[in-house]
Formats: sequence, C-alpha cells, structure tokens
Amino acid sequence: MTQLLLFNVFNGLIIGAFYALMALGLSLILNLSGVINFAHGGFLAIGGYLAYTLIPYLGFWGALLVSPFLVAFIGIVIERVLIRRLYGRDPLYSLLLTFGLAFMIEDGTRFIWGAQSLPYQIPGWLAAPLSSEYFFLTGYRVFMMILVAAAVLGLFLILNHTRLGLRIRAGTLDLETVSVLGVNVRVLRNLNFGLGIYLAGLAGVLAVGMLGLEPTIGDNLIMPSFIAIIVGGLGSLPGTLAGGLLIGVASGVTSVFFPSASEAVIYVMMAAVLIVRPRGLLGEEGRF
Amino acid sequence: MISGAAPKKLDRRIVIKAAVAGGVAQLAAPFVLTARAADTVKIGLDNPLTGTFAALGKNELIGAQLAVDQMNAKGGNLGRQVELLVEDSTSGDTATAVQKALKLIDRDKVDFLIGNINSALAQAMANTSNQKGVFHIVPGGHTDTVTGSQCHWNVFRVCNTTRMETNSVSKLLLEGYGKKWYFITTDYAFGHSLQDGFEASLKQANGTKLGADFTPLGTTDFSANLIKAQSVGPDAIILLLAGDDMINCLKQAVQFGLNKKFHIAGAQQELEVNEGLPPDALFGDWVFEWYWKQPGVPHVEQFVADIRKRSGGKVPTARTWFGHAAMWSCQLAAEKAKSLEPIKLAKAMQGLVLPPEVALMPNNPYYRIGDNQLMPTLFVGQSQPAPAGGDPEDLFKVSQLVKGDEAALPVDQTGCKMEWPS
Repeated sequence: MTQLLLFNVFNGLIIGAFYALMALGLSLILNLSGVINFAHGGFLAIGGYLAYTLIPYLGFWGALLVSPFLVAFIGIVIERVLIRRLYGRDPLYSLLLTFGLAFMIEDGTRFIWGAQSLPYQIPGWLAAPLSSEYFFLTGYRVFMMILVAAAVLGLFLILNHTRLGLRIRAGTLDLETVSVLGVNVRVLRNLNFGLGIYLAGLAGVLAVGMLGLEPTIGDNLIMPSFIAIIVGGLGSLPGTLAGGLLIGVASGVTSVFFPSASEAVIYVMMAAVLIVRPRGLLGEEGRF
Repeated sequence: MISGAAPKKLDRRIVIKAAVAGGVAQLAAPFVLTARAADTVKIGLDNPLTGTFAALGKNELIGAQLAVDQMNAKGGNLGRQVELLVEDSTSGDTATAVQKALKLIDRDKVDFLIGNINSALAQAMANTSNQKGVFHIVPGGHTDTVTGSQCHWNVFRVCNTTRMETNSVSKLLLEGYGKKWYFITTDYAFGHSLQDGFEASLKQANGTKLGADFTPLGTTDFSANLIKAQSVGPDAIILLLAGDDMINCLKQAVQFGLNKKFHIAGAQQELEVNEGLPPDALFGDWVFEWYWKQPGVPHVEQFVADIRKRSGGKVPTARTWFGHAAMWSCQLAAEKAKSLEPIKLAKAMQGLVLPPEVALMPNNPYYRIGDNQLMPTLFVGQSQPAPAGGDPEDLFKVSQLVKGDEAALPVDQTGCKMEWPS
C-alpha cells in the first residue's frame, strides 16, 4: 500500500504540473488585466489541433515548437480586436465574452477538424516506460515534466529579469502608476495576454500526447486550473504553481481509496481553503 | 486616470462564481431545428450534437438523414413525405434532453421520437415518451433498464443491452486470458450495467474480481487507476469506458507498457474511438455492434458507398447504422400497422424482422416480443492497426459473430414487465 501511495503521489505531481502550466497562463491574464479567461481551454485545444496539422510538415519537434507561438499570436489578435474593448468595465463583460469565445472556438475546431477524435502519435521512444518497476514514469511524462519545469522557469526568469516582466509585475500591483510612468499599457496587456495564451498552447500540445484530441479537450482541464488558482491564492504565481501540484497529488492519492471521488476531492479542497484561508495558500491579503 | 487602465473591482467571489458558471456551461448547448412542413410524417431526433458524444450523435444523424432520403424517394411513409426534426439533447444533461423531447412531442407533434445515445438520457426520454404515449426508438443508449426493469410498451431499442455485449465476449475472455479481472469503469448507468454483466459471467465461471475503479465521465488522467490495476496483477484489465475516456485510458495504458504485461479488453468498442487512437493503441478484444466490412452480406457495400458520399469519404460506423435502422424501423412499423397510432405501431413492431436492406448484417435481426429489444448480430473481434495497403478505416478484425438472442437474457430474466394502456 505504501508503494502504491508513493507511486500516486509522484504521479499526482506530474499531473499537477500540467494543471499548473494551464493555471499559470490563466493567472497571468487575470492578475494584470482582470480577465477571467474562460476561453483558455479553447486555446489549449487550438494548440493541440495546430500541432496535429503541422506534424506532417514540421515533424513532432517542429510542431511542438511552432504551435504554441501560433496560438499566442491568435491570442494577441483576439485581445487586440475583442478583449481590449472591455478593459475598465465590469469583469462580468469580459467573463461573458470569453465564455462565448469558448463556445465559438469549440464549434470552430469541430467545423475545421471534425467532431471525432484524431489520432496523435508521439515518437515511439517517448511512448514507453523508463523502467518496468516505476512503469508510471514514462518517457513522455518525464519529457512533459522537464518541459513544464523549463516553461515555468522561463516564465519566472522573464518576470524577474526582463523589462517586460518587471512591467507586468508592476502593472499587476498598480497599473495606473505604471501608465503614468510612460509605459504603454495597451501593449503591455497585449503581450501579457499572448504570454498567457502561449502557456495554454504549450499545454495543448503536451496534452494531446496522452489524451484524445477532440474539440472538448480543454473543457475537462479548465476547471482544475481555476481551482489551482483559487487554492494557491489569487494574484500569486508561485501560489498557482503550488495549487496545481497540490490538487494533482490530492486527486492521485484519492484514486487509491475512492476512485469515484478523484474529481470531487479537488472541489472539496477548494471549499476547505475558502473556509479556512479565503485568500488561498499564498494569496496576498487584501489584494482580491 | 488612463482610459481602461484599471479593471473594475475583481474579487474572489467573482472568480468563484465564474468557476461555478464554467461548470454549468458544460450543460449549455445550442439547439438545432430543421425547416417545418405541414402534412408530413414527423420524426423527432433528440440526440447529442455537442459535448462528449457529439461525434457519435452526428454519425447517427447521418444514418438517419440517409434513411429519410431513401424513404422519401420511395414515396414516403404511408404516402406522406417524411420530415426529420433534429434537436441537440446535449451529451449529459437529462433536463435538457427531456425538455427537447417535450418540445418535439408537444409543439412539433412528432409521430415518432428517436434518442438517445447517453444511457441516462435515453431512460429519462423513455419515461417521458411513455407518459405522453408517443412511439419511441432508442438508437444507441445501452443501459439494460430501457428494455429491462423500466421497459415500456412504446419504447423499442436498436442497440444491444449491455448484458448482450458482455455475454457475447466474456466466454472468449475467460477461456483465453484467465479468470482474475480488474475493472476500470465509467461511473454512470452504462458502465455500471456493463460491469454487472461481466461480474455475473465471472461468478458463473468461478472467477475473481480483483478490484474495480469507477471513474467520473470525462476523466482525463487514468494513471492512478492503471497503477492500482497493475499492483494487483490481474489476468485481464477490463475497460468499461466510452468515447474520449476510452481513448485517454488506452493511450495511457500503452505508455505505461501495460498492454505488454496484461491482457486489456472490454465489451463495447466503437470505430469512432479506434479512429482517434494511434496505431500502437489499437489492440484488445472487444464487441462491435456493427462493422462496415462484411463481405458477401447483401446491401452492405451499397450502404457503405452511400454513407461515404455524405461523410467526406468516411465509412459508416455502428452509430450510422443505428440511426439508419431506427428510422427505417419507424417506416416498417407504420407499413405493417397501416397507421401512425402509437399502440398499433408498437403492436406491429413486436416481432418485426428487419429486411436485408435495413438489417445489413447476417441472421435476420428482429424486435423481440416481451421487451421490445432488437436481437441483432454482435461482432466480436480484435482492434487492429489499418492493414498495410488496405483501407485506413479497417481498424477491427471480426473473429466471431454472435446471435443477439443467444447473448441476451431471456425476457423473464430482464425484469421487464410491460404494461399496455387499457
């Protein structure tokens, strides 16, 4: 039983890292622009479909590299054309817009690529366990972990060591002051949105290696990502990361004892955090 | 203040409300209405066009549309043109499915109701159509109760019961791979019924259930369940999942290498699922309810060619056949009853044998008297990667044909106690 538990804790960390990747993108957009991006799962799906489409031309690695940037570009255009108009209004407006956008993306992917799941093949050497004893450590999962870790590290490097990152962080704290200091807030929000959507696109390309590629692929992943943000604490990117890992582990461990509650447990966790520590584990007091 | 620089107050409550709304959004879906014409025979199709079962629903719709065109080309139903009215039931919201069924019955005055793919929705619709006294065919919802403990005089079913599916393949699994099984089962009516069926077969063969995980519909990560299954060392891991859940689980099982350690099998498998799997995940023993490659069976080739023209070259699946057979069953029942009156239709339908151009399979399928269940042929076999140089959609190898009435429980064991209106 101990070994089974340990297996599931490690496995939960792997899945949690994936939730965290999605949640970080959501969190970035929420923190700077105050937009609750319900279309995040849709962007994830686009990432997967673009990778599927590009593989015959660019190969697996080329598609992995290019697709998230294409999704980020689509995100930047959508922010420029649609979302930007709603800044400064009640958050409900952008919430409704992204809500509708999610349906449009889902039906759009269904129209272009069909309703049926598509076969997405990863390289054979990745699609195998690394050892027979620790069989849950597959090449693909380890690769995914490395890539997620690199993406998270890259994000924190951008935020802490670049001018853009400094401005995003400052804007998160006081956007008006940042604007007064001469920063073009429109461009800042646009790039920040693109960065968040890039992470969704990357999550999409990674997800289709182990999940079915179909138009609703993002639906089942978006809720754990929201919960990761709430559990980790609104406004805190490290909190979001921790929240993602925590709910992954909680879900994995629950599967050992009560498999049918493996999904419900993350909602219970969210409720518990909201009751005991409403600002989330690492959320800043009074910020939200 | 800069224009639009600072968002209006965004608090935790809004984020939580948004998350709740996101959950509710899974239930929302657009509805579809076709053009209405007077003085036609109306058939209402209330099936998923969005969500998890959208692909299956669309294939049933394609089969239904072909049948309507064929019927109208032959002069329609009782001399009147047939009109198909389509509603999106959603994939999992019972209230929406029932509401759409009521709309078709009360507002559109349909003569026949068809639906649903989701077992729970099919049963709810069956109970509704019974209250309204409308002739109803369930094309693809498998839970046993529809023609079992909750059967109704007006409700017929084209697809198999889950017990027929498990009975048709369990002998092969027990004899071929051993008697210690671990189940990974989708946590709704369909999965539970399948597992009950397999457990009955196991008990009869003195086999052992080593464990069972019920997973929520829409589960993305099955690794914890697969880790548990591996830890108890079963002879076979039985996957009783559907749609994308099945795809996710099979892909992950392959990546864990479990298909090389254990036999992985199940009951129902669908071509839609196989087409979403990479070649290395096409393995295991399953039951198909209809398969497009049936050399020598009359009319099948023509049916495949007709469907290819309507679906961008893709072959028909069991779902396409369900839709086609359900629509034609309405026509055949009306012709036999010479009426559209529901009780007369139901009486005519009992015992009705499908003609070869509708059956599209061997062994003369018929609607059984007593529980209104179609007794078709089940196709037992193995999933396979497309053969080199062959058709890319030839993803299943049929090894055994099982007659429906040999796989089904006798009527008196189904729990069906049919009450006819006085």
